Amino acid sequence: MRATPKTVYFRLNHAASLDSLPVSTLPVGWSLKALSASTERRDFYDTFEWQAFRKGIVIVEKQEAIFLVALNTGQELSSLPHTRICSSFFSDQLPACKFKELLCSCSTIRAFTRLCSIDAFTRSYRILDNNEKTIATLTSESLYLANSESPEPLTHLITLSPLKGYEEEVAPIKTLLSSHTEISTVLDFKALFQLIIHAAGRKAEDYSSKIILTLHPDAPIHESARQLLQSTMYVMRKNEEGIKKNIDSEFLHDYRVAIRRSRSLLKQLKGIFDDRETTYFLNFFRDLGKKSNELRDRDVYLLRQTTYFHYLPPFLQPSLKPFFVNISSSRSGLHKRFCRYLSSSDYRSFLDELERFLNPLSIPNPENAPNASLSTKSVAMTSIKKAWKKVIRHGHQISRKTTDSELHALRIDCKKLRYLLEFFSSIFPAETIASVIRQLKELQENLGDFVDFSVQLCFLHEQFALVPADKLLSASMGGLMATLFQKQEEARLKFHKTFKLFDHEDTNQLFRDLLTDTCQ
Amino acid sequence: MKTIALYSIKGGVGKTAAAVNLSYLSSLLSPPTLICDLDPQGASSYYFRITASKKYNSDKFLKGNKKIYNNIKATDYENLDLLPSDFSYRNLDIELAEEKKPQKKLKKNLDELSGDYQFLFFDCPPNLTLLSESVFAASDVILVPMIPTTLSIRTYVQLKDFFDINKLDSSKIRPFFSMVEKQKKLHRDIIHEFHNTPGFLTQTIPYNSEVEKMGIYRAPLNAVLPNSPASKAYRNLWEEISTQLQGL
Repeated sequence: MRATPKTVYFRLNHAASLDSLPVSTLPVGWSLKALSASTERRDFYDTFEWQAFRKGIVIVEKQEAIFLVALNTGQELSSLPHTRICSSFFSDQLPACKFKELLCSCSTIRAFTRLCSIDAFTRSYRILDNNEKTIATLTSESLYLANSESPEPLTHLITLSPLKGYEEEVAPIKTLLSSHTEISTVLDFKALFQLIIHAAGRKAEDYSSKIILTLHPDAPIHESARQLLQSTMYVMRKNEEGIKKNIDSEFLHDYRVAIRRSRSLLKQLKGIFDDRETTYFLNFFRDLGKKSNELRDRDVYLLRQTTYFHYLPPFLQPSLKPFFVNISSSRSGLHKRFCRYLSSSDYRSFLDELERFLNPLSIPNPENAPNASLSTKSVAMTSIKKAWKKVIRHGHQISRKTTDSELHALRIDCKKLRYLLEFFSSIFPAETIASVIRQLKELQENLGDFVDFSVQLCFLHEQFALVPADKLLSASMGGLMATLFQKQEEARLKFHKTFKLFDHEDTNQLFRDLLTDTCQ
Repeated sequence: MKTIALYSIKGGVGKTAAAVNLSYLSSLLSPPTLICDLDPQGASSYYFRITASKKYNSDKFLKGNKKIYNNIKATDYENLDLLPSDFSYRNLDIELAEEKKPQKKLKKNLDELSGDYQFLFFDCPPNLTLLSESVFAASDVILVPMIPTTLSIRTYVQLKDFFDINKLDSSKIRPFFSMVEKQKKLHRDIIHEFHNTPGFLTQTIPYNSEVEKMGIYRAPLNAVLPNSPASKAYRNLWEEISTQLQGL
C-alpha cells in the first residue's frame, strides 16, 4: 500500500500571519485559497502504561469521531465516528471493527484514560497549482491547553499536508518554510504529540511497572538495595491514584507486585539494613499486602468472567450471573475500605518512615548491618545462586503425588528467584539474563496455573456454602468447580515434565554462565 | 473491492460524466474510491484537473502494481483518488497484444489495490479492442450509457453479440439511458421498449446543459450543483447500482 504523504509541522516563534511567511510568494500561477476557520477540542488518550504509544499509535478524539493515528507518520489508521467517550474506556467495550481490533492489540485489561485536552484555533487553506488543482492543504493553528489558566498558547503551528501524488510539487514550499526566520522548528507528528503532552505536564512512557534501574556492580549492596526499594516505592505511589479512582484493576495489581518485590528484597538480602527496621517494614508490607488480598481476588474473578461463562454449557451460563453480581458488590465494599486505608494517617506516616529509611544519608550501622558494604555483584551472585539451588532442591523433593502444599511452596521459591533476577538484571549480560528468565518463566507459568486454579476452586467452594439455594446457580457453580478441578489436575500432571525442562543441563549451564564472574 | 466499468463502443454518450459523478458519489458514502482513466483523451483526468506526471506512460501502466501506485493522485475530494491517463494510452492495445494473457492483464495489475479501495471505476475509451476485453474481465459490473437512439441500441446489440460469441459473462452488462430528452418521442419510445428488459437499470440520466458545463467547472456536477436534475439522477442511479452490487 502506498503511504499517504507525510504532514510537516512548522513551529512558529509567535502567531505570524501567513502574509509574513514565504507561502505568499508561491510560484507563478499558484494561489492560496482560504477555507474555513474553526475551533476544535482534541482529547488524547492512552493507558497508564502508554500501551498505544508503545505500539506506535496515538488516540485522539475530535468533535465528530475518535481517531487512531500512526505515531511515526501522522497517518490515520482507523476511526470510530460519532463516538463521545467519557474520561476513560476499555477496548473490549467498543463495537466490533478495525478500530477495536487495533486498540485490543494494545490492551484489553487496561483502561484508556484521557491524557490531556487541547483547543485548536485553526485557519485552513488550499494551495492550488496553475490548473487550480489542490496540491496541498495548509493550516495555521494556535494550540491552547484546555482548561488552562494561562492565556498563552502552547504553540503556534503551520501545518503543510501534500496531497497524494503531489509531494514533489510541494517540496519547494517545505524548503522555503523550513528556512524562514519565523519558524523555530520543523516537527513531525511524533514530536508534535510529545510537545503537547509535555505541555500538559506528562512525558511519554513515564511509567512502567518493570524495574528500570542501572545498578553498578561494584557499588555497596546497601546503596543498590536502597535504589531498588525507592523504585518499588515509586511504583506504589504512582498507582495509588488509579486505585482510588477505580480506573482499572492493573493499578492495584502493580501496587501489590511492588509490595511483594519490596518484601522479597528485604527478606532475601540479609544483613544489609538494620534488623529491627527491616522487621518493622517487612511486617508492614506483609499487612499491606493482606489488606488488599480479597480485593485483588475479586478483581481476578471479574476479569475472568467471560472465561468462566465459556467453561459452562450455554444453558447454564445465565444462572452464573448472580454470582458475579455478588462478587462485584463485595468488591465495591472492599475497594472503599482499602481506599480509606490508603488515605489514612497510618499509611501516610508509614510511607514517610519508609522514605526516611531509604534516604541516602541514612547509612546503617555496620554492627547491625554487617553485609551493607558488600559489592552489589557479589551479593547478587550469592543470593541468585542460593535461590536457584533452592528451587532445584525443592523441585527434586516434590513427590510423585505432587501435593498442593509442595507446589504452592515451590511457586514461592520460583517467585523469589525471579525477583532477584529482575532486581539485578542490569549488572548481568542482557542476553544471558533474558534466557534464564525465559526458562524460569515456563516453570512459573505451570506453577502459577496450578495455584490459580487451586485458589479459585477453594474460593468457589467457600462461596458455595454462602449462596442461596438455587438449583441452576448450584449447577453452574458445580460445573465451574469441576472444570477448575480438571484444569488444576492438568497443571499438576504437567509439573514433572516442566520441571525436568527447567532442571535441564542447558538451563543449568545458563545459570552457571550467569553466575561466573561475567558481570558488566 | 468492486470494479465498475463505464463502457460504450460509441463515443459521446456520457461515459466520462457518469464515471466522474458516480465515483464522486461512491466516495461520499463508501470510501475510498479510485477512478482509473483509461481514455487517452484523458477527459476524467481533465475534469479533476489532474495531469499524469511526465514520467508516466502506458508502459508503466502495463507494469502494474508499484508503478501504478506511484502515479495515483488525490483529487480535491476526500477519499477519491485518480489514476490519470496519458496520451501514450493510445498504444495500449498494441502493447497489450504483446503481453501473455492480455485479457487478464488489467485484473492482475490492479489486484494489489483491492486492500486500499472499496470501489474502482474504469473510464473506458469508446471502442471494442483487446483493452476492452481486459476491462470486461477485470470488472464486476459494466455500466453502458446509451442515448435512446437506434444507433446506440445497435452498439448495445453488437456488444451483447460479442459477449456471446466470446463466451463472456454478459450478466455483468448493465445498460442505462443517458442524455435523455423526454420531449423527444423517439427517446420516450425506446425507453419504454426496454423498460422491462433484464439487466437494464431503471434510472435514466436526463440531458442537462449543466453536465456539459462540467468542462468549465472541472469538478463533478454532484459536487458543484448537487440539486441540479442531472445530479439527482446520478444520485438515484448510484443508489440503484450500489443496491445491485450488494447482491454480487
